Amino acid sequence: MLRRDFLSSCLGTGLSTALPLGLLPGALRAEAAPLKLRELYNKDKSFSGIALGLEGKPLTVEGFMAPPLKADSTFFVLTKMPMSVCPFCETEADWPADILAIYTRRTFRTVSYSRKIEVSGLLELGPFRDPDTGFLSRVRLTGAHFDIA
Amino acid sequence: MFNALWHSLPLWAQDGAIALALLAPALLQAPLILRGYRLGPLLRGLLRRHAGLSLVFILLIATSVAIGAAITAQERALRQGSARAADKFDLIVAAPGSEITAMLAAVYLQPSALPLIDGETFAEIAATEQVALAAPIAFGDSWQGAPIVGSTAEFVTHLAETLAEGRLFESTEEAVVGAGVPLEIGARFTPAHGHGVADAAEAHDVAYEVVGRMPRTGSPWDKALIVPVEAVWGVHGLADGHGPDWDGTLGPPFDPSRFPGTPAVLIRASSLWANYALQRAFTTERTMAFFPGNVLSRLHAIMGDLRQILSVVALLTQVLVTAAVLAGLMMLTRLLARRLALLRALGAPRRFIFALTWSFAGSLILAGTALGLLLGLIAARILSGMITARTDVLVTAHLGWPELHLVAGFVSLTLSLALIPAALTIRRPVIADLRL
Amino acid sequence: MPRTPPPLRLRDLAVTSPGGRALLTLPKLAIAPGTATVIRGPSGAGKSTLLMALAGLIRPARGEIRWGETDLAALPEPAIARFRRETLGFVFQDHMLFEELSAAENASLAALYAPKAARAGLAARSEALLTRLGLGARGARRVDSFSGGERQRIAVARALATDPPILLADEPTASLDRANADRLVADLMSLARDGGKTVIAVSHDPALIAAADRVLHIEDGALRPESARV
Ligand SMILES: Nc1ncnc2c1ncn2[C@@H]1O[C@H](COP(=O)(O)OP(=O)(O)OP(=O)(O)O)[C@@H](O)[C@H]1O
Ligand SMILES: [Mg+2]
Repeated sequence: MLRRDFLSSCLGTGLSTALPLGLLPGALRAEAAPLKLRELYNKDKSFSGIALGLEGKPLTVEGFMAPPLKADSTFFVLTKMPMSVCPFCETEADWPADILAIYTRRTFRTVSYSRKIEVSGLLELGPFRDPDTGFLSRVRLTGAHFDIA
Repeated sequence: MFNALWHSLPLWAQDGAIALALLAPALLQAPLILRGYRLGPLLRGLLRRHAGLSLVFILLIATSVAIGAAITAQERALRQGSARAADKFDLIVAAPGSEITAMLAAVYLQPSALPLIDGETFAEIAATEQVALAAPIAFGDSWQGAPIVGSTAEFVTHLAETLAEGRLFESTEEAVVGAGVPLEIGARFTPAHGHGVADAAEAHDVAYEVVGRMPRTGSPWDKALIVPVEAVWGVHGLADGHGPDWDGTLGPPFDPSRFPGTPAVLIRASSLWANYALQRAFTTERTMAFFPGNVLSRLHAIMGDLRQILSVVALLTQVLVTAAVLAGLMMLTRLLARRLALLRALGAPRRFIFALTWSFAGSLILAGTALGLLLGLIAARILSGMITARTDVLVTAHLGWPELHLVAGFVSLTLSLALIPAALTIRRPVIADLRL
Repeated sequence: MPRTPPPLRLRDLAVTSPGGRALLTLPKLAIAPGTATVIRGPSGAGKSTLLMALAGLIRPARGEIRWGETDLAALPEPAIARFRRETLGFVFQDHMLFEELSAAENASLAALYAPKAARAGLAARSEALLTRLGLGARGARRVDSFSGGERQRIAVARALATDPPILLADEPTASLDRANADRLVADLMSLARDGGKTVIAVSHDPALIAAADRVLHIEDGALRPESARV
């Protein structure tokens, strides 16, 4: 919590993330409150109980769209923090745990990396190499769609 | 709840549902209007009687629909084609400058003179832990206008996966060519310096032998001739990239002090997240690193915006054309007035007259729309062919759901507008029209 | 199954032009069902105006046009159209056919908007009528290839295809030569009499006048006194 607060203030956009969920207007929330990327992992980078419990199930995760690696594709990377905003905030070591591979059902329009989005899809755990792009991911949301939060 | 249900539908069902929803006004009004009547003989008679005018209306509608459909289909084709051509290029490192210029040069092989990355930098990149593949892309020379690119066998394998024919190059006199290069295996060619007109005086006095051919990729690399990067350096009288006791084995590792430089480096990261880490790591004072896919999607966004503007313009022309056609129909209903009045004098129900006028307009709209889709597809195909011929980026236009949605909305809107002349005809005075 | 025609009773009828000029004034007129009546009078007298009013094509300024219990003057437009469709046959002065359709299609035009159940009967009847009128073999031909007399006979077939109890005809023989006119009058009268129909025709044709039960004279928008009597 302490670390997140630090990051939030560093980013200067902490207000929305630090707000207790209960204060959010009900309409903005899906059936269940969106998960934070962090909640998918334990401290030691292994999958959390939440993640294991939700494997193969639909869920909604909030985060930011990293600049897409491929154009006109159905694949992007969801990050905990907006990319390219605060180069000092993140250390490389955090990266593997703080990103989630997203496979959307349709090709999507890029959303600015600074806009928070809520992605819904089925949670898949375990290594998978994308035959098209060759990218290897450990966790994914598949059949996903997203909205700007 | 509805949202969850919607997202659980298969994509075709979603698209189909949208098309149906757009068509709904037309599909709902048609049976209400037409129920119980046999309009065929009179409708055919009227169309035949006013064949010339009908044809003009149909062509007007067709043209406007064609423009709208061609724009969206073409933009999508362009997006898909350019994205596919860049698929193999995850991360490019080049000397700082314009990302777009570097992308055009390294991915789409559009010639431009870029500053070089030196040996030390290349060695640093190649040695970075998360880098699975670092390949120089040394463009500059050409053969009969087709680009000659110096790189490594690993790069060819990455690009082609398996060769369509032959084998990888094993010496500095061998080359692997793209699927579209008009050279057989075993053929020889001499590189020309730069991309100017093939000039004997400018030609290098080296010849390569084609030993392999890549499968078709739908990218400008289909026209490319790939040679060992050492050969490109050699042709230009530069160091060969290896130390004095080099045994002639091509490719990395290179000797940083004897590495003449490369305008661009293709990088494949060993894991997904590393792409971002590497992009950051190589964004330095000496180098820039970018994802071509990302640059491209920014271009696509601009193209999409342009397309939207064009689509609005196209939509506007469609509405204008429709308005013109409806105005024409109003005039036409005056032409038809005597026949319609006769029908009413004989006791035909008003809905029959309404249905006849509406289906007359509807026939023109449907025929025009169908013809317009066809014309739009043909126009997009021709445009795509021209783009493919010029850029070697395979662009293929198809009609897809967006076009069907556009057309469904257009049909619904115009059929609903056609209610107006139909309603006006039944308000005309029977006796006065009968005396016309 | 021929329907018996309703009797016609006009009361206090006044038809005015859109400008308000009186075109026709008829205090009283009755026409018995199943009779043939010819209306004559000078040009511009108001003969066509009367016929149109009887068909509900012109709404009178005041008065009643009663076919049986139905007062056309008081009926809304769709109901008048239904009355025309179900009870009236109309033959126009200049045949008024759809040139782009065949003779058979013209004759059975009402089948295009008739209820499904009535279509087959209508088509059969119009075919029989065309045969009776000597055009049976040429039913499939387009109307623009027919002569004036033939066209007028197609128009008669069209008017009678719904087997209406009432037939109104506005100078049906005007554009025809003598021989054709005689033939049409003979056909018209025999078809109407066979079915016990009421026939009201505007005409100066001697043959038609000779065949009529009654002749009405109209002048200056009014009935000449002697013609009011049966
Ligand atoms: N819509 C109208 N507006 C003004 N005047 C009209 C209108 N319709 C008919 N009239 C006038 O009413 C009078 C009667 O017309 P109508 O057509 O009934 O004559 P008609 O007896 O049938 O003559 P014809 O033998 O020439 O056919 C004529 O003077 C005509 O000009
Ligand atoms: Mg007249």
